[in-house]
Amino acid sequence: MREAEDKLAALFALDEPPPRDAAFSAEVMEAVIRREFQKDVALLSAASLVGAAALWALWPVLQPAIVAVSQGLAPVVAGLALAACAVWLLGSRPPEPVEVES
Amino acid sequence: MSPAGLDEALVAAAKDGSTDAFSRLVERHQQAVRAFLRRTCGDWALADDLAQETFLAAWSKIGRLQAGASVRAWLCGIGYNKHLTARRGAARSRARDAVYQAERPPPAAAFAEDRLALEAAMAELPPEQRACVALCLAADFSHAEAAEALGLPLGTVKSHVSRGRARLLQALGGGDA
Repeated sequence: MREAEDKLAALFALDEPPPRDAAFSAEVMEAVIRREFQKDVALLSAASLVGAAALWALWPVLQPAIVAVSQGLAPVVAGLALAACAVWLLGSRPPEPVEVES
Repeated sequence: MSPAGLDEALVAAAKDGSTDAFSRLVERHQQAVRAFLRRTCGDWALADDLAQETFLAAWSKIGRLQAGASVRAWLCGIGYNKHLTARRGAARSRARDAVYQAERPPPAAAFAEDRLALEAAMAELPPEQRACVALCLAADFSHAEAAEALGLPLGTVKSHVSRGRARLLQALGGGDA
């Protein structure tokens, strides 16, 4: 009786995987990360679709407003663009060589 | 920190989206889950596939795990449901990797016959009884923990374990127990 119980325990022990199995854990985590990525892609795709549909539906209302606003703001935007160009050009000038007195 | 305390901390971090914490949970419990599934379904390759699916499902459902619950029992419960689903879907068309089976250690000559006898006896047990035996006799689950994992009444688990044990001992030449 005792012998059969010991045998049973020993046979069950043969089914034990190793206590640490890096390959198995890595496979699981790879699948987890893949699933998270798929979820993120699906979410972003859905958000983009909703945004595109909303823009398409609102475009007849938005277009005249954008045209009116852009006409009013055109001189300001042009001025700002010129100022940005000037800052960028002056900022990227090579430093003047330093003259060394002999 | 106690193992249960460490599990709780890891579960809390995994609930907040930490894949590192979940990875540690996988490391800590892969042995118990895979051993349970190997004993429950008898096919090591399938068992390891189911274990992987179990952890994947656990990641999705971790928010529902109640504080203080046994992580090991919860994972085995998910694994058991995966096993039952796989059993029902008999036409599971998966390419089995023969290398996986070759991974199985060759039983020692003296054990070979007993091993076959045990496998045959386990295969004859009803699924619930087999799962109870796999948890309570082969692993160190308490009856209460097995009942929680399998979603069975405590009395049913006790009776399954007692009957299953008797049948396995009989198959190994240990009489009626």
